Amino acid sequence: MASLLEVQARFAAALRGERGLAEADVTDGGIEAAARLAIYCNNARAMFEGALERTYPVLRRRVGEDYFRQLAHGYRERFPSRSGDLHWIGEHFARYLAQTEAETGYAWLAELAELEWACESAFVAEREPSVEPQALAGLAPQDLGLARLRLQPSLHCVASNYPVLEVWRANQPDADGHAVDLARGGQCILVSCGTDGLELVGVSAAALAFTRHLQAGVPLETAVDESGLDLAELPGVLGMLFSHGLVTGVTGPAMESDSR
Amino acid sequence: MANSSKPVPAGAGIGLRSAHHEALVRERPAVGWIEVHTENYFHDGGPHLAALERAREAYPLSLHGVGMGLGSVEPLDRSHVARVARAIARFEPALVSEHACWGSHGGEHFNDLLPLPYTDEAVEHLAERVAQVQDLLGRQILIENLSCYLSYSSSRLTEWEFLAAVVERSGCGLLLDVNNAYVNSVNVGLDARAFIDGLPAGAVQELHLAGHTRRQVGKRTILLDDHGSRVPELVWRLYEHALRRFGPVPTLIEWDTNLPELCVLADEAARAQTRMEDVRGLAA
Repeated sequence: MASLLEVQARFAAALRGERGLAEADVTDGGIEAAARLAIYCNNARAMFEGALERTYPVLRRRVGEDYFRQLAHGYRERFPSRSGDLHWIGEHFARYLAQTEAETGYAWLAELAELEWACESAFVAEREPSVEPQALAGLAPQDLGLARLRLQPSLHCVASNYPVLEVWRANQPDADGHAVDLARGGQCILVSCGTDGLELVGVSAAALAFTRHLQAGVPLETAVDESGLDLAELPGVLGMLFSHGLVTGVTGPAMESDSR
Repeated sequence: MANSSKPVPAGAGIGLRSAHHEALVRERPAVGWIEVHTENYFHDGGPHLAALERAREAYPLSLHGVGMGLGSVEPLDRSHVARVARAIARFEPALVSEHACWGSHGGEHFNDLLPLPYTDEAVEHLAERVAQVQDLLGRQILIENLSCYLSYSSSRLTEWEFLAAVVERSGCGLLLDVNNAYVNSVNVGLDARAFIDGLPAGAVQELHLAGHTRRQVGKRTILLDDHGSRVPELVWRLYEHALRRFGPVPTLIEWDTNLPELCVLADEAARAQTRMEDVRGLAA
């Protein structure tokens, strides 16, 4: 009698498309073993595709059902599911698309996937209580440049060579899906999740670099210097971060704990 | 193994999916309790977690896992169990359930509920895993019978003997999916009434009801357990049989595909509640 390990190994082979092994383990009962196993094969494929589609609805809408299915098939072979949690199925999709679509007319899909994965990640991240801009007012003027801002865990910074934010906006459920001129160039995007859902904000390249430095715990003055942010732009960028509730703490050089 | 929060009543509840989060808060349907898929609430935050926090204030809650693959031969995914434990700590459900299935091999997860052969080896393996998970979670779990599209030539036990043995060895409870029993009667020739009669009565703590679809495979019919329609009449009849055997037990309406308005689920729950009260009245 086959052991449990043998039964599962042969069944798994069938689910990966290998025929002729698991059939002997299955009782016919009026329906061929291969037909019975095929139901499970279809279920596993559909489960994978469905999870991928839920994570990448914009990409799915842009490429259409047939091409998305092709992409999902190739991706599953290269990056099979490694978790019992469907959320993680799409984790490597951008990397896969970057590898397989680079030399095609669909090189921009990898960047769109990166944006959608940032959305997925932001959507399930913790949201900490935000602080008001007045938190900065408590600092001595000479300490302002040394202050560090803590940002929302849900905040993701995305930079692209193609206008993927425009593509994303044009393909939301209530949008008309109009074509976007991909030659328009790249975009810098802050992705986060507020109480009302996802928030995507287009920013300048310097503002994105500045935000990334803040995320890394770099003091304000250094973040400005390193990112090349024009000082004239600083109040607007800080105002945007505060107004979107993206700042969760301000720490001055003499403060060990956060100001909230 | 103490449970917590509001107990799930011996009444009818509904499976809550994210598409119904807002409607549940807005409409507050008259259902006894709610159940969600545990894995959908594994994360650190976000609107779905916030919605469940609100929902559990109004309804007793059950967490129903679909991804642990308790019967897989490869090592238990302890990180998955840890996430279940975190969800339990966060939401304090009255019931926690998983499936009598396997789901992964060679590090690959198939994200499906795959059937086990009904053998002594599988009993031993599943019971050991269930006991291990119960120890890690610090509480009893229920395990659910599967819907099957095949049976194994190596099976030596009936499905009810298999489940009863796992209950006896692990101390777990049972979640009896009545639709699955019906589906299996068509797909693999299970005697659904004998199945219900053969389960250990004291172990059954929850029932599931759902719809299925029919598909032709050659000249034969296969029932697909798609949870995408109202509960069929023959499943209701089997449910009444289960109620006569087990008495009133918390009963869930599951609906996962072709999701209708929330009021349709509430209507199905009301039908289950009526049947439960009829049986209770007959017994009084």
